[in-house]
Amino acid sequence: MTTPYVLQGGLVLDPASKQESVMDLRLDGDRIVALGGNLEVKPGDTAIDARGLWICPGFIDLHCHLRDLGQKDKEDIETGTRAAAAGGYTTVVAMANTEPPVDNAATLSVLLNRIADRAHIEVLPVACVTKGMEGAELTNMVELAEMGAVAFSDDGLPISNMAVLRRALEYARLSERVIISHAEDRDLCQGGIIHEGARATAMGLSGIPIAGETVAIAREIEIVRSTNSPYHFTHLSCAQSVELVRRAKADGLPVTADATPHHLTLTVDQIQGWDANYKMKPPLRTQIDQEALIAGLKDGTLDAIATDHAPHTRQDKCRPLEEASVGVIGLETALALTLERLVGAGHLRPLEFIALFTSKAAPVLDLPQPSLQIDSTANIAIVDPALRWTYSTSTGQSRSHNSPFHGRLLTGKNILTFYQGRPVFTDKQALQNRLKEPV
Amino acid sequence: MPNRSTQSTTEQNTIGNLFEFDHDGLPLFRRRRHLIDTQDLLKEEVDCLMEVAALCKKNHQSEVEPLAVLSGKTIANIFYENSTRTRSSFEMAARRLGASVLNLDTKVSSVAKGETITDTARQLVSMRVDAIVQRHSASGAAAHVATELGDKVQIINAGDGWHAHPTQALLDFFTMTEIRGSLSGARVAIVGDILHSRVARSNMWLLTKYGVDLNVAGPPTLVPAGLESFGVTVHNRLEPAIEGCDFIMVLRLQMERQKQGLIPSVGEYKKLFRLDHARLQLAAPGVRILHPGPVNRGIEITDALVDDESKSLIDAQVANGVAVRMAVLYLLLTGKESVQ
Ligand SMILES: [Zn+2]
Repeated sequence: MTTPYVLQGGLVLDPASKQESVMDLRLDGDRIVALGGNLEVKPGDTAIDARGLWICPGFIDLHCHLRDLGQKDKEDIETGTRAAAAGGYTTVVAMANTEPPVDNAATLSVLLNRIADRAHIEVLPVACVTKGMEGAELTNMVELAEMGAVAFSDDGLPISNMAVLRRALEYARLSERVIISHAEDRDLCQGGIIHEGARATAMGLSGIPIAGETVAIAREIEIVRSTNSPYHFTHLSCAQSVELVRRAKADGLPVTADATPHHLTLTVDQIQGWDANYKMKPPLRTQIDQEALIAGLKDGTLDAIATDHAPHTRQDKCRPLEEASVGVIGLETALALTLERLVGAGHLRPLEFIALFTSKAAPVLDLPQPSLQIDSTANIAIVDPALRWTYSTSTGQSRSHNSPFHGRLLTGKNILTFYQGRPVFTDKQALQNRLKEPV
Repeated sequence: MPNRSTQSTTEQNTIGNLFEFDHDGLPLFRRRRHLIDTQDLLKEEVDCLMEVAALCKKNHQSEVEPLAVLSGKTIANIFYENSTRTRSSFEMAARRLGASVLNLDTKVSSVAKGETITDTARQLVSMRVDAIVQRHSASGAAAHVATELGDKVQIINAGDGWHAHPTQALLDFFTMTEIRGSLSGARVAIVGDILHSRVARSNMWLLTKYGVDLNVAGPPTLVPAGLESFGVTVHNRLEPAIEGCDFIMVLRLQMERQKQGLIPSVGEYKKLFRLDHARLQLAAPGVRILHPGPVNRGIEITDALVDDESKSLIDAQVANGVAVRMAVLYLLLTGKESVQ
């Protein structure tokens, strides 16, 4: 049991209700029980001086890899959700490319038990679209959905056969779940290590062309047009991809999309030497692509920011670039990086920005709308938008260290996360003079 | 004081007094630990290296005893990719300087059992090896080992993936300057499979530092994106690239490129890109041909041209390879505090 909390004088940012005002919040049990000016602090309450802080609904990450099952040397449910809680997340969507992949009821049930035992926050598992992610036979989508699969995806090994994808989209309607697409034409991207262009050429690396993504998106959009089933494009990286999704949305197709913090903040020219912490898929692209992603977030073409948190051990990353594993961790840096890039640079107002982590992300997978109203579940991220801090992977919560942002000075940080009314992450230093324990 | 006029300095710096050799580039080499690529070599370093290479060539051609400048040093050759010629060239260079040479057979050692390249290099560090000469199929492999173990051992890149082959570019440079003196204003073409060529890349970085008019040609499928950023002119036909050229570097065409679908047939490649005496008419009158070897006779270059001693520099390249590698080893491994 936790004590009631009174959050005093924070700026409440509740995108679902478009509310943006300085108020107090009272949490009791797993609920928000009161909202208003100058709420009374009763004996036994914990009060938090939240002046200058943002009170936000807990964040949703539509794309992360928690590696549990089978790859616990990289991450597991416990460490992964601890990292997520530190980043302000109270719900994460965990991809299915584990070992073994989540492609049958028995595996999903093991995973669900592990989540029930060890997760600090809500973990919504994705199941595979095809058995073994082999791109051929569909999984038991209805059974998996009924057990708790939140969506379907062969992320990492995208379906190449459009007949299979078409059947998957048709059949997925029975499961009432969205399919998440890692859009990559595997032939065009074969052997590619970084974005195709001068940098890849100078380094003697096989390039990943823009068409490797846009061809896949264009053809998948046409399958969606013929099936009309909901479809989500994750981690867009190219300007032309944004344009394709924009047009599909204008045509009324049920498509949504997200972008990652690393694609919003780094470009291919910023790759440092041969550092494999800059190796991810899709790869870092150009300034033009990055600006198009930001424009997409501003005009609603992109619905959310998703981390694609992809932990890898030091041994997996510490190899020649061509041989190193693909992906970067991102749960603990997502907010700060994008806050600087989007709000700091004047592209979005705070309420619009927080919506990308909450109210606009939830409908993508038909999740309950996060909100900060009376009787809402007390899932809350408290952000100090002005806090300057240096990110270090060694003091971070993730088991892995594969971040290109290690050592980077950042502005803005989640300092306290409530999940169902309980604090699941507390930045003790940042809260030092703000916390008034019950007397 | 340093004297950059090759001729006179070479006269003064005879083989016996390599120890007294002086040059502007020398202090730069004293600070350099590794040779990974030509990209970050300063002109002073290259000039200095060329002068030392000239001294080494004299030594190598004479019947005198090997120099003892590297006695007590051990140099390990690790070739994860087969290359008898480059390995032998490095080995002979090391022996001519009095160093001990350790050849690691990557097929029978633990390398075959999935040990990482850093693990393998670390073993050699434990054996107190002074330098590692490494050839590997992954771009960035030499830089990777240098990053991981660079404070404990010196790394010399003998070729990494498609990325770099600095000693080949340096020996090509040496060979061309022997013919022409300064390369400033020279017109040079590199032709063939540019995409997969570390030799082309290292040559481009090096030659563009010297004001060479550099032209590159190959089938569009074998020319990588953004190549212009090297400061070269890109052609898709052989003829405009070699027009008026003083030197033409012909690259080897791997037969597997056809199976990969990058060229339709060897026959069509020969028709469009094979260098022969007729096409050579387009080049400058005194044009000379280079090839990093091994040559696919009759594919990228005609038999007759390979054997035409008035045109082909292929034998000179092989001979100069030893001298240039002696210079690289000498300059990298001497004049430093012991690293162990
Ligand atoms: Zn993906």
